[in-house]
Amino acid sequence: MVHVRFRPDLTIILICAGLYVGAAAQARNPWGQTALSLAVATAAAPAVALANAVGSAWEDFRTGQRSLRATLDELGRLRGDSAELRRNNQLLSAEVGELRQGSRLLAAYPSLLDHAVLARVVARDLLRTHTLRLDRGTAEGVHADSAVLAETGLLGRVDRVLEHSSRVQLLSHPAAAAAATIPGINSEGLLVGGDQPHITGLPPYTKVAPDTVVLSTGSEGIYPPGMLFGLAMESRNEGLFTIVPVQLSARPTEIMVVLVLPPVNKGAP
Amino acid sequence: MKIAVAFLAAILLQFGLTASHLWWVFAACQPVLLVVVASARRFDPVGVAWTGLAAGLATDLMAERIIGPGGIAGAVAGVVVAVVVRRFEMVGPLYWIVGSLLASACSELVWILSLVTLGVKPDHMWIGAFATVAMTGAAGFLVAAAERLARAWKSPERRRRRVLRRL
Repeated sequence: MVHVRFRPDLTIILICAGLYVGAAAQARNPWGQTALSLAVATAAAPAVALANAVGSAWEDFRTGQRSLRATLDELGRLRGDSAELRRNNQLLSAEVGELRQGSRLLAAYPSLLDHAVLARVVARDLLRTHTLRLDRGTAEGVHADSAVLAETGLLGRVDRVLEHSSRVQLLSHPAAAAAATIPGINSEGLLVGGDQPHITGLPPYTKVAPDTVVLSTGSEGIYPPGMLFGLAMESRNEGLFTIVPVQLSARPTEIMVVLVLPPVNKGAP
Repeated sequence: MKIAVAFLAAILLQFGLTASHLWWVFAACQPVLLVVVASARRFDPVGVAWTGLAAGLATDLMAERIIGPGGIAGAVAGVVVAVVVRRFEMVGPLYWIVGSLLASACSELVWILSLVTLGVKPDHMWIGAFATVAMTGAAGFLVAAAERLARAWKSPERRRRRVLRRL
């Protein structure tokens, strides 16, 4: 009796050889494999469908992510545009405000336009130095000691001039002084600056009605006569003089455009 | 049993990787060869060769090619992987990465050679073979990484740390 012992190593070699021969036969005589193809396709279908679902979900996710990124980019760009527009709008508003103030100023003093210089206030220090800085200087015809006029009245005088800028000493400056008069009172007084500008030099017991206008006389040689300084307040006597506190008409806090007048004594001998 | 389940899962995965919604390069991957590599830990070289034979025949069936050359190639790849893994005592990530690269390279080489000797024009040549080796190697790398993570997760050190944290 012959015993056949299964030897895996030899068996696999034999199977491989058989497969090789079978493959050669298949190569020489190709067969349709219709049933096999059908079986393979059927077996593959669920796995392929599942993988397609996974791939499709992943594609959707990526597309959504791209859309989100694009939307966020667009949002960032629009925010930038909006900020830019807001800045431009603020600048334009400021520009319009200045233009309006300038046109009101020009309309208020039509007789001064020929020789006056319209200037923009570029800086102001109202608490420490009581000055304004203008964007016009000698190159534009601004001279030292020129009177500076705002829409509502006199503001001060130019005390320093550069080529393209100048500094205005306000009437509220402690060292400021100007000849002033009050309609109905014959004598001239001296308007001096400080925390509370006031007129001094008036005879004692001079009666001044509150809210009477205080005008320039021009005798100090800086301010043209007849320009408004402000309104008189309740007067009082101090020693030999009557003191009249003055509420200045021009408010430097709100002024953006001023008119620089030519010096009164320019060209005088 | 685990090998049989993994074998079935690998076949389904190999089908799934050809799906049109996935990246087309995935289709070059042959997860069944990873099962051959995995069997090298459990079986002797002849046993691994049997696994490779089954894997190669399954690949031939799935690809609707001439049945046989893939099986021969799988068997040869299984023997080579088993011998190399034993000879160099490979463990850990190296086992998976080298094993998968070796299995795919041997399988492709033997498959192409056997078809050429039969006078049949293979459906892919060196570029396809290279893609298969690369993608199967990448899959081996992923399996190695997953195994490492799983080991770290199940490690006694981690368990001890968790217990100590609760104290």
